[in-house]
Amino acid sequence: MCAKWYLGTGAQNDVVINTSIHLARNIRSFPFPGRLSLPDKLKVNGVIKNATDFIDGYNFNYFEMKTLSQSEVVSLAERHLVSPEFASSRDGRALLLTEDEAVSIMLNEEDHIRLQVMYAGFALDDAYRTASQIERELSGKLDFAFDDKLGYLTQDPTALGTGMKASVVLHLPGLVSTSQIAKLITTVSKLGLSLRGSYGEGAAAKGDMFRLSNTITLGISEKAAIENLKSIALQIAAQERAAREELFKAPVTEDRIYRAYGVLKYARLIDTNEFMELISLVRLGAVKGVINMDCAQIEALMIHMQPATISLSVDRPLDRIERDKLRAAMVRKALS
Amino acid sequence: MICQNCNKNEANMHMKRIINGRAAEVHLCSDCARSLGYGEAFSGFGLGLGELFGELLGKSDDVVSGAYCPACGKYFDEIVSDGKMGCAECYGVFYDKLLPSLRRIHGKATYMGTKPSSQGGASLEDRVEDLKNRLSDAIAEQNFELAAQLRDEIIAITATGGED
Ligand SMILES: [Zn+2]
Ligand SMILES: [Zn+2]
Repeated sequence: MCAKWYLGTGAQNDVVINTSIHLARNIRSFPFPGRLSLPDKLKVNGVIKNATDFIDGYNFNYFEMKTLSQSEVVSLAERHLVSPEFASSRDGRALLLTEDEAVSIMLNEEDHIRLQVMYAGFALDDAYRTASQIERELSGKLDFAFDDKLGYLTQDPTALGTGMKASVVLHLPGLVSTSQIAKLITTVSKLGLSLRGSYGEGAAAKGDMFRLSNTITLGISEKAAIENLKSIALQIAAQERAAREELFKAPVTEDRIYRAYGVLKYARLIDTNEFMELISLVRLGAVKGVINMDCAQIEALMIHMQPATISLSVDRPLDRIERDKLRAAMVRKALS
Repeated sequence: MICQNCNKNEANMHMKRIINGRAAEVHLCSDCARSLGYGEAFSGFGLGLGELFGELLGKSDDVVSGAYCPACGKYFDEIVSDGKMGCAECYGVFYDKLLPSLRRIHGKATYMGTKPSSQGGASLEDRVEDLKNRLSDAIAEQNFELAAQLRDEIIAITATGGED
């Protein structure tokens, strides 16, 4: 198996976990997925699969979602390769995925094509370059639904225009513990961006992980949207670093980090919520040099410790206690 | 498709209604639609449904009615309730009705991004940037005829692109 994208570390890795670019496209001659019959969905899948067959430098594996087990599908969602919505209903849907999992294309989700490029760290320009290169190749082979005034037409009218959603996942323990998140969420919404929990929705963001994305897709070019996101992300990262400086002035912070590390290292049962809370502290310590652990290893652990991904690792369904036991054992091993 | 009322103009309003228990399709030009009491597009079957129409279609007992997309069959009311467009054509069919909401969602509702490969690909922004570069080159080379031409081109595309 070749290395996954998240095993690398990227720029601004103390705060920025990863970067992703999503592009939504539809084929003009077919209705949007909501009005496609099952046979037509399969036809659309075939047409798009063929178009991806000869894209220079990219080898896609093709999966009919119906052929995958429930755990496999949920694990794909936990790894952020497909949306939870995509995992919830599998008929007529398919996935194109590169070996390193950096590029995934959901077929017949909200739109015929949902292309995603995901890189470690802060890499908006690189991710956009890759996404747009693949999109150009597809655009040469498929007639996309496009209108001069409205741009790329999508099933959801709020996504039309560029059809692009650019995101960065930010680790914000400093801003969370200094209670600055709520204000930040309001501020960024006025700037055409959204900030929400990356694992778990809303305010209950697990592991202090947040996703910052653009919300405006019309009246702004892809480049301008990315520049806007980039500058806000860097400002938030600077605020986060300042908040961390403050936190580390109090001895209790280092104490909490070591306690979190201790629990992770010795616990015999650990559920997802507790794991995420503790690993967030350990990551904070690792970045600061308090804990000797590699950030990429922590990110990989976060992904591997999600419920379905754990069940998948033993190839059989687990009940909650079995899963918490296995999680604790895997965490102990990773930390030893 | 020709208007079923005047049999003259191109029909651009397409509606379905249940008449005597059977779905019937109605295709009208905008003039006839207005004179038959539809008023603004997509206000649905208003109270003013004229006698003309009654004669044309027989007695009606509306159950499902309203504007729909002839390409995919989705009603505008369905789009309002589930927030999903049926197909690319829906945008053209319901354009006027959608524009206010699009502006509410997106602010300035003019597309500024890249285009499909078949249509040149570059975004408006990139095209303007390219023209500006060529303009400064032309000025540097004292090729004022070309410079004037490029300047007009920049004015033309920024005017159409920037219009609200
Ligand atoms: Zn007429
Ligand atoms: Zn339609």
